Amino acid sequence: MPTQINKGVVGKEFPPYVVTVERGKLKEFARAIGDLNPFYLDDRVGRASEWGDVIAPPTFPVTFRDEGADTGALLRELGTDISRVLHGEQELEIFRQLAPGESYLCRTKVVDVYEKAGKSGPMAFVVRETAVTDRANEVVATLRHTTVIRL
Amino acid sequence: MKYGKVYVEDVQVGDELPPLVKGPIQQIQLTRYAGASGDFNPIHQDDEFAKAAGMGGVFAHGMLSMGFVAQAVTDWAGAGAVRKLGVRFAALVRLKDVVTCRGRVLSKASKDDVHTAELEVWAENQRGEKVVAGKATVALPSRH
Repeated sequence: MPTQINKGVVGKEFPPYVVTVERGKLKEFARAIGDLNPFYLDDRVGRASEWGDVIAPPTFPVTFRDEGADTGALLRELGTDISRVLHGEQELEIFRQLAPGESYLCRTKVVDVYEKAGKSGPMAFVVRETAVTDRANEVVATLRHTTVIRL
Repeated sequence: MKYGKVYVEDVQVGDELPPLVKGPIQQIQLTRYAGASGDFNPIHQDDEFAKAAGMGGVFAHGMLSMGFVAQAVTDWAGAGAVRKLGVRFAALVRLKDVVTCRGRVLSKASKDDVHTAELEVWAENQRGEKVVAGKATVALPSRH
C-alpha cells in the first residue's frame, strides 16, 4: 500500500536559523571527504590567501541545519520516515567564501513536491531551497536539495 | 601539480579534468562523514537497519560522493573556484566501491573581466556505472 505524500507542505517556510562556521568543524569536514587541500586545512596558507583565512569545501554549506529543530517533523508532516528517504539531487551556488567564526542566517522553504515512477516503484520528490546570508544580509550561498521518498 | 590553478587562456572546450580516484569506501569513512556533516541517518551506518529498509545494506551518503566530485573540480581549478555545482545521485555507492570522479569542459564565458567555465562532471564506480552526474561552473583567473 503506497504512502500518500502530503503535497500541502509546498510553500512551507521554516523558521530562519543561524549557523556559525567553526574552524575545527570545517577541517573535520574536509578530512572526512579525504580532501586535504591546504586552503581548507592550513591556517598559514589561509592567512596568505586572497580570503585571509581558510575556506570551506564547496559542499560544506549543505551541512547547515537548524540544531534546535526536530528534523523528523517534516518527514512526519509528509507522511513518511527516515528509512524511506534518499538524497536525489543537490545543487549549490556560491557567491562568496564562508569565513571561520562567522555566523550566517539560513532560510529554508519547500518549493515543490511531485511524484514520479522510479526504477523500483513510485517515488515522491520534495524540493527545498535554502538561502544563506551574512551579517550584511548579502547572499553568500543558495542550496537546492531534492529528497526522494520511496512510496 | 596536486593542487592546481588553471588560467582561462589555458582551458579549451573538451578538456578533461584529471580523474580523481576515491575509495575503496570503508564503513569508517561513512561514520566520519556522518560526524563531520551531522547526517546520522542509520541507513549509512547500520547494516540491519538498511536491510530492513529494503536497501540491501548500508550505502554512502550522496553528499560524500558530491564532495569527491567537488574535490576533483577544485584539485584542477583551485580551492574557491566553484561557483555552481549541481548533481543527481544516479546510483548507490556501496562499501568497497571505488569511485572515480571525472569532468570535461563544456563551454567558457567571459563577462566584465570575470571568466568562467562550465563543466560536465560525473563519478563512476569500478564497473563504470555512473553514481553521480551533473554540472559545475568554475571561476578562472586570467593571465592578463
